[in-house]
Amino acid sequence: MDGGVPRGFSLAERDRRWAAVRANAAAAGFDCIFVPLCLDPINLNLSPEQARGTRSDCRYLTGLDNAAVVLPTDGRAPIVVADRDNSNAWVSEVRAANRRSWAPLMVEALRDAGMERARIGVSGLRNGTVSHVRTTSGVVNHRAFAEVRRALPNAIFEDGTDAVGFARYRKGPEEIAALRNAARIAAAGLDELTAVARPGVAVTEVYGRVVGRMLELGSEYYPLALDIGPLDGEQHRHEDPPIGMTLAAGDLIINETDAVYLGLIAQEDQPIVLGPVPEAWKPVIELQAELYHMGLELMKPGASFAEITRGVAARAERAGMQGWSMLHSRGYGNDGPLINTQDGRQDRTTGVQVEPNTVWMLKPSAVSADGRIKFRWGGCVLVTEKGAEPLVSRIPGLVAIA
Amino acid sequence: MDMSRGAEHDTRPAAGPYSLDERDRRWALVRQRAAEAGLDCVFVPLGNGIDGRYLSQYRSACVVLPTDSRPPIVIIDSFADRAARNDWIPEPRLANRAWGDAMTRALRDAGMERARIGVVGLQGGTVSHARSPDGVVVHGVYEEVTRRLPHATFVDATDVVGFSRYVKSVEEIACLTQAAAIAEGAIDEMIECARPGVDLGVVYARVVQRLLALGSEYHPLAMTAGPLGAYRATRYTNPPHGKMLEPNTIITNEVTAIVGGQNAQEDQPILLGPIPDEWRRVVDLQREVFEAGLERMRPGTGIGELIDFVNGYGEKRGGKTLMLMHGRGLGDDGPLLSPRVRGENVRDVPILAGTAWVWKPYGMSADERIQFVWGGDVVVTETGGKLLFKRPHGLVSLT
Repeated sequence: MDGGVPRGFSLAERDRRWAAVRANAAAAGFDCIFVPLCLDPINLNLSPEQARGTRSDCRYLTGLDNAAVVLPTDGRAPIVVADRDNSNAWVSEVRAANRRSWAPLMVEALRDAGMERARIGVSGLRNGTVSHVRTTSGVVNHRAFAEVRRALPNAIFEDGTDAVGFARYRKGPEEIAALRNAARIAAAGLDELTAVARPGVAVTEVYGRVVGRMLELGSEYYPLALDIGPLDGEQHRHEDPPIGMTLAAGDLIINETDAVYLGLIAQEDQPIVLGPVPEAWKPVIELQAELYHMGLELMKPGASFAEITRGVAARAERAGMQGWSMLHSRGYGNDGPLINTQDGRQDRTTGVQVEPNTVWMLKPSAVSADGRIKFRWGGCVLVTEKGAEPLVSRIPGLVAIA
Repeated sequence: MDMSRGAEHDTRPAAGPYSLDERDRRWALVRQRAAEAGLDCVFVPLGNGIDGRYLSQYRSACVVLPTDSRPPIVIIDSFADRAARNDWIPEPRLANRAWGDAMTRALRDAGMERARIGVVGLQGGTVSHARSPDGVVVHGVYEEVTRRLPHATFVDATDVVGFSRYVKSVEEIACLTQAAAIAEGAIDEMIECARPGVDLGVVYARVVQRLLALGSEYHPLAMTAGPLGAYRATRYTNPPHGKMLEPNTIITNEVTAIVGGQNAQEDQPILLGPIPDEWRRVVDLQREVFEAGLERMRPGTGIGELIDFVNGYGEKRGGKTLMLMHGRGLGDDGPLLSPRVRGENVRDVPILAGTAWVWKPYGMSADERIQFVWGGDVVVTETGGKLLFKRPHGLVSLT
């Protein structure tokens, strides 16, 4: 740790993760957890979050960007396969595929672990309750996995996504420290956005400056999402720098500003208008701040998601407006559950509670009675015994750059 | 669609810089190759984002392209492409996260229940998905599709689209040229800010910032930095914070910029100090093999012939040279030829006019202690390889 900022995860953190996954696997009756070769984020790019989540389980267990893992439930060390022998402090031995198919090495790893007739929990085979939540079809590479199944006809392969997912859901102190640092970096990215966004400035320049600032502060890359358009019109989303586009007076810039530290993703959102805030927007913005603070209070350990969404909606209704909840867990990518009353998305939440040391993106929306004005603001929060607390201190509202 | 802020103030994504003619060219090429392979359609399933983009310009699309010239059925995710529309495919179908069902329906609607279906990305190809021997198809949905269409025959057709992508059009080369210029702009930034005492992470951030500000899509910047002559320095694809640059550090890099999906890569080593004489000889050798290889990069030359030429060039001159080049395009293009991947399986693949490459052969001292790689994007013309970039050859020395 350096000033509260971890420089890397310790061996104790590795052991905590392996133990948590083993315990979940044992409870589910699995002999091992198998993270097979998963899709790459360029080819399975359904969204930045889903792209980031494709290979999240292997990174969680090994610290490697791309690996297959066999983790026996009985406490033995995992067997790890990767393209190259890129062992690290967590994994001293890696079996290298060297640009050939991973299937033979994955088969061998399962055999060496004695899993020929075992019950094998495959992580990423489908969407889980709290991980890979948006990727209903899972993230597993077909050819390699099909070959593994063919080669091990007496083994039973079942979905084990939740065994890893629920270990990821509950954060350790080192993970919380990393997420806090990521949130700080994202907030600094927003400061840069506020400093550079002006009418007449090229959006590519804005995009580059914000991302550059976050990388400079230690973030890995994560696409900055900018929704830009007239305040009283439609905003369109850009997840890459849009060549030839410039900001105009009166533009509303909605953003999702994500920073990644040690693989963990924090997001901070700060709408900006290039002009004055219209009077009609002010009560909506004020209500949104109330909804956000209410969300913090409601997110106590044991709370149900229905309580939170109902509470937010009821408060807005009393103000003669609408209140939409939007929250999802944070971690290595594609974490959940995702609860979004705006578009009706609500992932499976059976068996999920708000728990201490879970980290969330909380960004409720307030909507005017006629539905014309919608305002959303938010950031990362940590659940404590008393409720949720922001990972970085910011004030809800619309930043006006006159 | 013009992306500038015109009267309509419209920022909706278009099909990038590509015309409808370019779309029709691609579809026609793929159909022709599919017909030659005896396929009733080409099927790009979920997971194969690169080929989906080639055929539709959507980021993560599934495509059913009948061989008989009917238009393709394209499926996107309403959240993935944020309900975007483009003028290539104005009315895509929405998967709403039920990809298996949507893909099965698309194949049925195209009349493919008993057809011979060419699946793109099922395994690594000859000139595409070159680094993905296991392919790029998502297991869950592909298994569902094949189960629900038990009378259809599914075969790998990665090369059908791959060889269509292999030869670039004028519009694609224009994108590559623009991307190469952006990559060179970022190299200028690296030369500007890399100095002893500067954090390498800051250099990394500044270079990426420049790439994005110039309009590139993101691609990880790859860098190594270590003492001159060190055998192997750590390769970074994320900002390496806390690593301070020191005098006589050599920085190697792969600076990739993307325009219209086309990936251009420029490689420009930088030395924070004077160039020792023994390095000058290797730099000169690398320049010679670079130029001689460029000369031989003519249509019809077999890749095996070029490999042999490059690998044998250095020994006759008191050093060593090794092949390092790979195809350029929408990503994971091949053939991939490197000291690790010798290209035995692609020796007979011809180099064709309009193919684009990152060309960066190794120059080495006889004892391999000094290794130098420099290069960038080239396109093959009738008279040999033509550079898509402008900077002069050499090791940049910052003293």
